[in-house]
Amino acid sequence: MIKRFVSLQWKQFRRSSYFEAALAIKILMVLGILYFGGIAILAGIGGYFILQKAIPEVDPLMSLNQYLIYWFLFDLGLRYFIQQMPVINIKPLLIIPIKRKKVVQFLLGKTMTSFFNILPLLFFIPFSITLIVKGYHPLYVTAWFFGVLSLIFLNNFTVYLINKTNIYFFLIVGLVLVFIGLQRYEIFDITAYAQVFFYGMYSNPVWILLPLLLMGLAFYANYQYYIKHFYIDGAITKKTEKVKALDLKFVDKFGNIAPFLKNDIKLILRNARPKQVLLTSFFFLFYGLFFYTFEIYRDNPAILAFASMFITGGFLLTFGQLVPSWDSEYYKLMMSQNIPYREYLKSKLVLMVFAVTVSTILSLPYLYFGWDIYKLILAGASFNIGLNSFITLYGGALNRVPVELNVKAKAFQNTNGFNLTQLLISIPKILGPIVIFFIPYYFISFDAGIITLALSGLLGLIFQNQFLNLIENIYQKQKYKTIAAFDEKK
Amino acid sequence: MINISNISKSYNGQEVLKVEDLNIPKGQNFGLVGNNGAGKTTLFSLLLDLIKPTTGEITNGDIVVNQSEEWKPYTSAFIDESFLIGYLTPEEYFYFIGDLRGVDQSEVNDLLANFEDFFHDEILNQKKYLRDLSKGNQKKVGIVAALIGNPEVIILDEPFANLDPTTQIRLKKILNELTQQNQTTVLISSHDLMHVTDVCKRIVVLEKGEVVKDIKTTPATLKELEAYFSQ
Repeated sequence: MIKRFVSLQWKQFRRSSYFEAALAIKILMVLGILYFGGIAILAGIGGYFILQKAIPEVDPLMSLNQYLIYWFLFDLGLRYFIQQMPVINIKPLLIIPIKRKKVVQFLLGKTMTSFFNILPLLFFIPFSITLIVKGYHPLYVTAWFFGVLSLIFLNNFTVYLINKTNIYFFLIVGLVLVFIGLQRYEIFDITAYAQVFFYGMYSNPVWILLPLLLMGLAFYANYQYYIKHFYIDGAITKKTEKVKALDLKFVDKFGNIAPFLKNDIKLILRNARPKQVLLTSFFFLFYGLFFYTFEIYRDNPAILAFASMFITGGFLLTFGQLVPSWDSEYYKLMMSQNIPYREYLKSKLVLMVFAVTVSTILSLPYLYFGWDIYKLILAGASFNIGLNSFITLYGGALNRVPVELNVKAKAFQNTNGFNLTQLLISIPKILGPIVIFFIPYYFISFDAGIITLALSGLLGLIFQNQFLNLIENIYQKQKYKTIAAFDEKK
Repeated sequence: MINISNISKSYNGQEVLKVEDLNIPKGQNFGLVGNNGAGKTTLFSLLLDLIKPTTGEITNGDIVVNQSEEWKPYTSAFIDESFLIGYLTPEEYFYFIGDLRGVDQSEVNDLLANFEDFFHDEILNQKKYLRDLSKGNQKKVGIVAALIGNPEVIILDEPFANLDPTTQIRLKKILNELTQQNQTTVLISSHDLMHVTDVCKRIVVLEKGEVVKDIKTTPATLKELEAYFSQ
């Protein structure tokens, strides 16, 4: 029976559209998987020596165990964001004589083969081997490894239990931030306590019973849940949601573009995929923490210019690159109605500009890093509003990948917004702010760079009509191609 | 009103539609029948300029559909679910279409009031998104939305499919009333010969992309069609 399921799933995978995607995309996907896998393996092999060098006075295994708690929480957060219960088409299975238990067991078993479980293994297996080679006790290392393995699967099952609401996600993120904060200011160091447990799995293997037990519980809870909900209106298939009434009267002020704007706001608030984009763009705000704190970056204004564009550009980039794909599900309607492309585009533009403005306000705390940094962020925001918005919309028009609105994007299973055109169009997005800032900075001064970057945004406002014409032209020229592409079965 | 001349459509060298000359006068209730793959949806898609004709052209009013968009304000259509916006409620969808066609909310409400019977209390005030409605109810929404703004040309692909018997009968009444003043041109396609003969003044049979029959509906038409399709 299991063999049958496997064969069904294999066909579903093999015959799905992303597998039949263009060769270039396939190559990119394989490269992506090889890249991450390769990094994990290299880190696994070299990890021991890196830790030894970084913290020479402490046993490398101790150092690793000290920080595993963060990996554990981070992994859970990441899974929360991307990992989804595989949807199996249960309707045909309900009426044929297969035990429900079997299907659910298979379904849960299948989740264990997810990329999220394999990636850490690629790190921990070589790391454990290195440990044994380095003379750690093979039995204890094996025990520790199985402890970590159970933790991986504990996360795997936990995420299905908690991902029904967003509260837990923010709880996890909050927890990590609080821990880091407390540790940074030396009030309370969670890693010291976590280390007792994680290192305990090596020094005293009884400890691994704890993650094993928890993993078993999580599996059982999932099992019970899905057995109970094994009906076509249950958990595994999609469910109907309650309508969220929205009062969008204030949007009417925008005149001609109001009907589109109202639709776009509903699009973002009522569909899984755009909500995910919203969350992603929120994380873009934190890019600065990375770039502004490391000295190698801090002393390189070109990199800083790029980072400053990123901080306020999260929504603009992630949402904008999928215009008009967001409307792919009903593109035929749009094309048979009397829709002025300009108003359609302007509505998206308004949303993007609004998002940049909000991000600029939210990035006020970066004033902590100095007025110069914040000036750079402001200039970056101006570049985003004026130029980047049009570049992104231009790229989106060439994109033509259908988007399933109410389905979350999956890691390495979703080629949406990831193709060669997208790659090419991202070059001016990334290099643009760097070049515009760096040339006057290099020849004149820091302030000159900032002023030029800020003025580049003005350019977009002046040539707004020309830019819109350009994009409109693509829409018109590629109309049939776009309709056909969006029409493809997903 | 609609003039099809020398239109053909090929995919990879294979011709799926070839209509030499077809003229649909204003106010006609026009029916298109044919087996699967006969080219009905292809013809409608060409009419709406959703696909590019391989040869020939179609004029709607006096406008060549793939050269100008001026036909859009007086033409409306419901082909399939891709004409619905899944994350809107039926009301929001009607108002959106109203916005696009320059009809304000109160006028849309007036129009919807006429269709209370047709909706059978399953569409309005249901607090459901369109994507969560049943196929039949989605179809009702799509058909009524196609009537917003008094279009002169209405194109409906398989309007009777998925509808319950009561609704089918009500839809026939609606379609008949539409063309009574000879102002609105209605084009429908269907697999149900009885419904088409009830509704349409003229029936064209497509087979493998070509027009094989062009009949003015009479009481004998149903028999004729049945005879043709049982060959």
